[in-house]
Amino acid sequence: MRIWKIVYMLELLVIASLVLAFFSFNNRKFKLISCDAGQGNATLALYGNTQILIDGGPDAKVLDCLGSYMPYWDNTLELVILTHPDKDHFGGLIDVFQRYEILNLLKSKATNSSQDYQVLENIVGGKGINTLYAVDGLDLRLGKIYLDILNPRGLDEGIIEEKDLNNSSVVLVLRFGEFKALLTGDVEIEGINRLAFEGKIPDVDFLQVPHHGSKNNITSGLLRLSSPEVAVISVGENSYGHPNKEVLDLLKTYNIGKVFITIQDKDVVIESSGASWWVKK
Amino acid sequence: MLVFIIRLFIFNKSLKFFNGHKIRISAKVSQEPSKFSNSQKFNLEGFNFYLPKYPQVNYGDKVVVEGTVEDGKVINAKLIDLIKNENVLLGFRKKIISFYQSSLPQPYSSLVAGIILGYKSEQTSIFWNQLRKTGTMHVVVASGMNVIFVAGFLMSIFLTFFSRRKSALLVLIGVWIYAFISGFEAPIVRSSIMFSIALVAQLFGRLSFSINALFLSVLVMLVIKPAWIYDLGFILSFTATASLMLFTKKVDKFLKYIPKYIKTDLKTTLAAQIGVAPILFVTFGEFNLLSPLVNTLILWAVPLIMIIGSLGGLVGLIIPSLGKLILYLSYPLTWYFVSIVGIFS
Repeated sequence: MRIWKIVYMLELLVIASLVLAFFSFNNRKFKLISCDAGQGNATLALYGNTQILIDGGPDAKVLDCLGSYMPYWDNTLELVILTHPDKDHFGGLIDVFQRYEILNLLKSKATNSSQDYQVLENIVGGKGINTLYAVDGLDLRLGKIYLDILNPRGLDEGIIEEKDLNNSSVVLVLRFGEFKALLTGDVEIEGINRLAFEGKIPDVDFLQVPHHGSKNNITSGLLRLSSPEVAVISVGENSYGHPNKEVLDLLKTYNIGKVFITIQDKDVVIESSGASWWVKK
Repeated sequence: MLVFIIRLFIFNKSLKFFNGHKIRISAKVSQEPSKFSNSQKFNLEGFNFYLPKYPQVNYGDKVVVEGTVEDGKVINAKLIDLIKNENVLLGFRKKIISFYQSSLPQPYSSLVAGIILGYKSEQTSIFWNQLRKTGTMHVVVASGMNVIFVAGFLMSIFLTFFSRRKSALLVLIGVWIYAFISGFEAPIVRSSIMFSIALVAQLFGRLSFSINALFLSVLVMLVIKPAWIYDLGFILSFTATASLMLFTKKVDKFLKYIPKYIKTDLKTTLAAQIGVAPILFVTFGEFNLLSPLVNTLILWAVPLIMIIGSLGGLVGLIIPSLGKLILYLSYPLTWYFVSIVGIFS
């Protein structure tokens, strides 16, 4: 009697796991998620078995985001991009790298001498994670997801001063079918102006507003050239006054359809079938 | 009793520090540090030390820390030295926890590691806040129930090989090894002591009265480590156990018309809440009226998660892929648990 009870229970659990697996594995649609990861930045792009994480926010909160959008048995991130080594972008990556298997890491050559960043470097070195350096002109493809790197430019290689870390951010266009997103890290006005001057800012659907909506990181040129339908400001509780009111006003004057702020709107999810795209939340 | 009073007296004497006093403590970290977004916290000699998040301090490590006392708190805490503990059992604990973390996503891995080994997840996580709001935190920190499970499991194994007396002794050892692995959290220690008293009493053919065993274990624990009196887990564990013993029967009478299969969990929860609720309210300033309901809805899943999780963890140390498959079976249960807690918070 007792043994049958256990067998039934097991069967029930197997079926339930399979049903949940079916629902969590959604290979038809591409998703771009701006995670609500606190004061920092973390963006997850996924399609089928391919997952790309761009920055990890300041702390372990990013794990909640990965947990809720990745299939539960999938423990591998195909690519992690660290835009630049500031705590609010790499802090959570320490926790991610401890738990997940990372196939590739893409970052700029900039480093940070803080103890926390050394912890991250040690994990990357210890696990022997394949590291690529981002440079303007580099194009990558993972499954159906295309990445065009716009920044940093080749000249920025070598030692980058701390105050210039933001301008060394990896800036990239992420494409899936007809959907295009511009991910900007913390790039500042000088960097944006240079990209604009060189004619590198494309017309996109989605813009991640640079530097958590800080005052010195957006120009009308950027908004005019990229003319996004959706703009997301990744921001948590902070003492810097992010997102700045002038930035919000500027976004309004450029008639951007939807502006999301992660601290209010939580995770912002864009879905795309390749031909069309929509905001899920 | 006399020993107890003397010990408390010494404890109080040793706590005379004034503002501005610099202190340096070198000691073993006897509990798992709590982790926050930017820092980690642990308690040494009744003082809370907040340190930067890295290098990470683990339960069992030896640390040398410095700081300045101000209003009974330590400020400007600094880590001077950290000697990692290479103990085999603690290594075993670490391996199992990291196996959970690499097999299941958050918050499911924290839930399993918390239920089985008392692992404390990052307190910044959404799930952690939801647990606090719904009054279900006690499930995720290792609780006295674990000890009963470990004891029952070991007993059924040993009894097939050994005599009753020998098995009892082996189970006793097993329970204390588990208490060590799970980080000597107050609820586990309490339960282990009570269990030991009951077992010894039985071996000598005496009846033990549980309420006496409870008070005896309070005494024993406070003699060993007086600082426990400030430990919320310690206080809650005792009030919960005491009110279970006192009120379960009375609550049972009120629930005449409730169907049997939900009554057991409901009456235990309600009985425990009678004692615990006021304490929670005073400490956290909030109390969720729906807490008994949420507890009733999730409690049945806990022993199942415990069984599947520990089996998966143990198998996973030898054959990782098989261990993972077993852990996946716990996913529907943890998913249910997390969803219910999410809905009610």
